[in-house]
Amino acid sequence: MGKIHELSEILSNQIAAGEVIERPASVVKELAENAIDANSTQIDIVIEQAGLQLVQVIDNGDGIEPDDVSTAFKRHATSKITTRQDLFKIQSLGFRGEALASIASVSDLTIETATANSLGTFAHFKGGILQTQKTSPIRPGTAITVRDLFFNTPARLKYVKTFQTELANVIDIVNRLAMSHPQIAFTLTNDDHLLMKTAGNDDLQQTIAGIYGVTMAKQLLSISAEDLDFKLTGYVSLPQLTRASRNYLSIMINGRYIKNYQLNKAIIKGYGSKLMVGRYPVAVLNIQMDPLLIDVNVHPTKQEVRLSKEPALMTLIEKAIYGRLRTENLIPDAVQNLKQTKVVDVDQLQMDLNQITSQRRNATGTVRPVHQTSMPEKTMKTEPTATQIAETETPLKTEPTADPNLNSLPIFEQPRQLAQWDDKYAAESVGNPFGETAEDNEVPIARFPVLHYIGQLHDTFLLAEGEDGFYILDQHAAQERIKYEYYREKIGEVSNDVQNLLVPLVLEYPNSDAIKLQARKELLADVGVQLESFGQNSFVVHSHPTWIAQGQEEATIREMIETVLENGKLDIAHFREATAIMISCKQSIKAHHHLDDAQAKALLADLAQTENPFNCPHGRPVLIHYTQKDLEKMFKRIQDPHQSWSGE
Amino acid sequence: MKFSINRTQFIKTLNDVQRAISAKTTIPILTGLKLVLSQEGLTLTGSDADISIEATLATTDEKNQLTVEEPGAIVLPARFFSEIAKKLPEDQMTIAVGDNFQTTIRSGKSEFTINGLDANSYPHLPEIADQNPFSIATDVLKQLIRQTVIAVSNQESRPILTGVHLVLNSGEMLAVATDSHRLAQRKLTVSVPSDVNYDVIIPGKSLIELSRTLADGDETVEIRIAENQVLFKAGNLAFYSRLLEGNYPDTARLIPTSSSTQIEFNAPVLLAAIERASLLSHESRNNVVRLTLNTADNTAIIYGNSPDVGNVEETLQFENLTGEDLEISFNPDYMKDALRSFGQTAIMINFTAALRPFTLVPSEDQEHYIQLITPVRTF
Repeated sequence: MGKIHELSEILSNQIAAGEVIERPASVVKELAENAIDANSTQIDIVIEQAGLQLVQVIDNGDGIEPDDVSTAFKRHATSKITTRQDLFKIQSLGFRGEALASIASVSDLTIETATANSLGTFAHFKGGILQTQKTSPIRPGTAITVRDLFFNTPARLKYVKTFQTELANVIDIVNRLAMSHPQIAFTLTNDDHLLMKTAGNDDLQQTIAGIYGVTMAKQLLSISAEDLDFKLTGYVSLPQLTRASRNYLSIMINGRYIKNYQLNKAIIKGYGSKLMVGRYPVAVLNIQMDPLLIDVNVHPTKQEVRLSKEPALMTLIEKAIYGRLRTENLIPDAVQNLKQTKVVDVDQLQMDLNQITSQRRNATGTVRPVHQTSMPEKTMKTEPTATQIAETETPLKTEPTADPNLNSLPIFEQPRQLAQWDDKYAAESVGNPFGETAEDNEVPIARFPVLHYIGQLHDTFLLAEGEDGFYILDQHAAQERIKYEYYREKIGEVSNDVQNLLVPLVLEYPNSDAIKLQARKELLADVGVQLESFGQNSFVVHSHPTWIAQGQEEATIREMIETVLENGKLDIAHFREATAIMISCKQSIKAHHHLDDAQAKALLADLAQTENPFNCPHGRPVLIHYTQKDLEKMFKRIQDPHQSWSGE
Repeated sequence: MKFSINRTQFIKTLNDVQRAISAKTTIPILTGLKLVLSQEGLTLTGSDADISIEATLATTDEKNQLTVEEPGAIVLPARFFSEIAKKLPEDQMTIAVGDNFQTTIRSGKSEFTINGLDANSYPHLPEIADQNPFSIATDVLKQLIRQTVIAVSNQESRPILTGVHLVLNSGEMLAVATDSHRLAQRKLTVSVPSDVNYDVIIPGKSLIELSRTLADGDETVEIRIAENQVLFKAGNLAFYSRLLEGNYPDTARLIPTSSSTQIEFNAPVLLAAIERASLLSHESRNNVVRLTLNTADNTAIIYGNSPDVGNVEETLQFENLTGEDLEISFNPDYMKDALRSFGQTAIMINFTAALRPFTLVPSEDQEHYIQLITPVRTF
């Protein structure tokens, strides 16, 4: 007899579990994904002690036929794919047929399931072995209860982190699942506390509000884009809403949450210089594509995928975000900037203001053309209309626990304000501040107000009056933006001169990079960096372009090489963007610098000509805005909503 | 420890020692000034681990008016202590250390008490044996430093080039510095036994500090070299510096031995012309000027251009032009640094080809001092 034998099924399941079931969150993910694949519309997830004690996933999906129950817990048993071809066009989240077997092998599991037209089944597995199976009186759907996770794999149990960490992981998984499936109502309960609840009415924005909170959801912009292969929808945050980590970037492909560094990069690139250094936006992107273009069979957890047209998708994402932000009025609202103003107040204020505007309109008939009924179509493409607002309110009323703030959600993008701009530009046949650019482009360029200069404050801020209120500008940030756009052009026009070196630089790279570099040497030669092979993995540089700052030669050349290695291309203007930012900052007037009227007006005029007048190159805002309503409210010319409510 | 001393003399010495004290250090005690008092005198020490300076005020020197009451040692916070010493009212000041290193500084009716530190926890200065010391005239050493440190690199990624390479061989001393764009080399004859040979690299920063510390009054500087330290002794002052470790590139082969075009200039006149030509060159974009030499017409024309601003052209005054016609471009900053180091003399520039380095030497003494500049390749 040989020593080699086939492993028992239970043992091999436990081995598979080692890959798929890493922690309680993995159990939640696998079970919830099964529920989604079973066409559920309501998925309730109940956990205890962050899932270590109990994970229960209850859905109202298709259910499992009584005869199939024991088969479902066999390894590589699935209803999701049948033929080899199916593997290349996977529509479902799962397909490997390993999850149930793996979970059952490391826990105490009970399942209750019923299809629409069969009797219910109850089954109990412990350590992967069927203990009992009997009929059960359950409504259609499946309820799986997992207790004592990892009871028979003590090493894995030790590896499990604190309750907080595990709970955070569970929440994260459920969040992403909910965001990728806004049509499904999710609830997540831990130790009897309701942690998360989504409406399941197929409104992604409301789903995001249920997860990230209403405040954040309000500052998101909807985006959509489409090309032959991809359909992209989702929400991205205004540049003023950022997070310190990339964790708030969620990318879903065909309903599957995935992690992809390149796509994250595309999102960030879409923001250009509008983000502050080290800050990342919030984004939820749903991408639909032909399943043939994606290979999810990379890792058992399926978070990593291979995309066959990744560069095209990156361009699509980048352009969609860039284009969307360009149409936005990016002047932060002063009132929202004030920390002490509660979010609720702003909601109430806006609702209140709506009423007041309409009242005033009715009363006088001479107010400015601010009416929702006459909103031009271009702003309305993505924003819900007044009727939609009414509609979205209705289903929420049936959800007594839903956040009452949700009903004010759809007006968060301040359509009134945008409408004012649109009306103005439609009405203004003369003095279009953007000249030809606005006509050349189909996409309306972000509206920068016509500002009437009032004066300088503390020799630092410029005060100006616009059509719709009061503006405060940071004079340094304003000039920095103007200079930056100038130098960004200039800095790319470097001379081709190269300075010879007496003592050459020797650069050493790891094998893989050296091979890549060998192939891309030409790219560097084009910009004046001649790499000569020197031994196996080393290169010698005998001269460098003269534009490289003195003392920075080696660092700059290394950085250029890294750019080439990473991106496969090198654009000097882009590469020197940091230099452009630095020069523009140095060359700009600082705070505490007195400007006379002519200088200040010239600054405002130049700012209006810039491509993005709203942020300085570091991403800080250039101007903030008080609407007339804000000012009126501060002076109590408009009754504070709280007072009027309490007065009743 | 207790003593009184003439404040002016003390401050003069303190200023020298303070050069070595940095406000930023990872060892807090190094922000302090160490005072050691013995019957012979008061020794002040400052150090930033790269360089250390030690100076002694002798009891025997009448000017110091030093009266030692009780020998001892203390470390005082340098920044506060020096500010205090400079602002005290009277010519004489008294320093006394009490319990827990509390130090009282008294002058006239003013009295400060500051917290000192235990002198025993101050790092020990390197011990350098006095074998094979050699001496150089102070002014010659200062000149050598001035002529070479301009070419030292400030790029920490190639640390070896941030130093001056000093080679002593058979009584001849060679000092070389290069940042790989230009090179400066100085030769000296030193009276030492011919078997005393050294090959060391001294950080450029240390030499700059040394040059500032050396008083013009001192006639010679004694130099002692150990494995990783160098000590310069002049008068009552001892200046220690660490040495850079590594192999300095072989610079001898970088200096061309022959030339095809030679031209002689008056250094200040050429410097003024280069300064004018570089007015329009833009540091981050196109910091280049072009020199055109025509032997037939006997002309030398310098040309600077900046597409944004404009251009400049100047026909240069020169003494002698021989050899082949040449057109060469270079970074004017390197040329300016080199020309300044020559002072008011006539210089000879030797070119070999448009893309080969060229050299500048004094017309009088072409052997001992040379500046080399690499050209820019233009398109």
